[in-house]
Amino acid sequence: MVEATEDLSERFAHESEREFARFLDFYGVGWTFESTCFALKRDETGRVVESFTPDFFLPKFDLFIELTTMKQSLVTRKNSKIRRMRALYPDVRVKILYARDYKKLLFKFGRLNESRAS
Amino acid sequence: MSHALLEHESLEPSVSEVVLDAAAIATRVKEIGRRIELDYSRCDSELVLVAVLTGASIFAADLMRAISLPVSLDFVALSRYAPGQVRSEVRLVRDVSHNLEGKHVLVLEDIVDTGLSLNFLLEILASKGPASLHACTLLNRPSLRLAECPIRYSGFEVGDEFLIGYGLDYQGRHRNLPYVAAVQFD
Repeated sequence: MVEATEDLSERFAHESEREFARFLDFYGVGWTFESTCFALKRDETGRVVESFTPDFFLPKFDLFIELTTMKQSLVTRKNSKIRRMRALYPDVRVKILYARDYKKLLFKFGRLNESRAS
Repeated sequence: MSHALLEHESLEPSVSEVVLDAAAIATRVKEIGRRIELDYSRCDSELVLVAVLTGASIFAADLMRAISLPVSLDFVALSRYAPGQVRSEVRLVRDVSHNLEGKHVLVLEDIVDTGLSLNFLLEILASKGPASLHACTLLNRPSLRLAECPIRYSGFEVGDEFLIGYGLDYQGRHRNLPYVAAVQFD
């Protein structure tokens, strides 16, 4: 679990995750990063064989956030996992933030540099 | 996920579609004004509209004139998030000039997306002891909502297009357009 933005340059795999953490920090919204793992599938022995760990949890809003990549294959896989998570954990609030939405969110604050997209 | 690195370029957007024309906006603003009249007509204390600068200024001017009740207008401004900037935080850069204690306060926004700035503002205004506190937005973009906000009046639900006009800007410009338009950047 990670709870501070500036000391975790090595913790985020993507710049978008770091930027989102800064965005939350700006608004004083507390967050944790990859703090909760949800079991999605178990084998006959009860061992977890598939799980899902949302990127962010916002305690103030009791909300999990998953940021997506631009790759359609990954988006499809994440959508599938989130559907299963919602079915298994109906009381848990999770929101998927698509890359295009996230980019538009930041776009209003300044020009996104598309050439540095990954 | 794409890197969201920012640079401020002088690209000029081009209008790809008029999402809301002036007539549609005017009709909706009058409808909202009428609803506000009905909801606040029996209130025994003053209604104060608090518009969030700069985007809600046009909406506030039109909405205020669509309300036939004694009403005051005030403004607030919030610091703006700058992507990539560290150790900055949202704050009021302009506070209300009215004493809001015991008053009915209606916050006016141009657009609510994540709800984080509105949530922050409502918490601050609530601490000033208003008799009631609600929010009104011309445009509502629930697809990006992170914070639940008690929006009492909403003009239009919009999609994920980047919008300009009727108060909404791109780099400070285009607020004076009489319509709301989606833009593309060539």
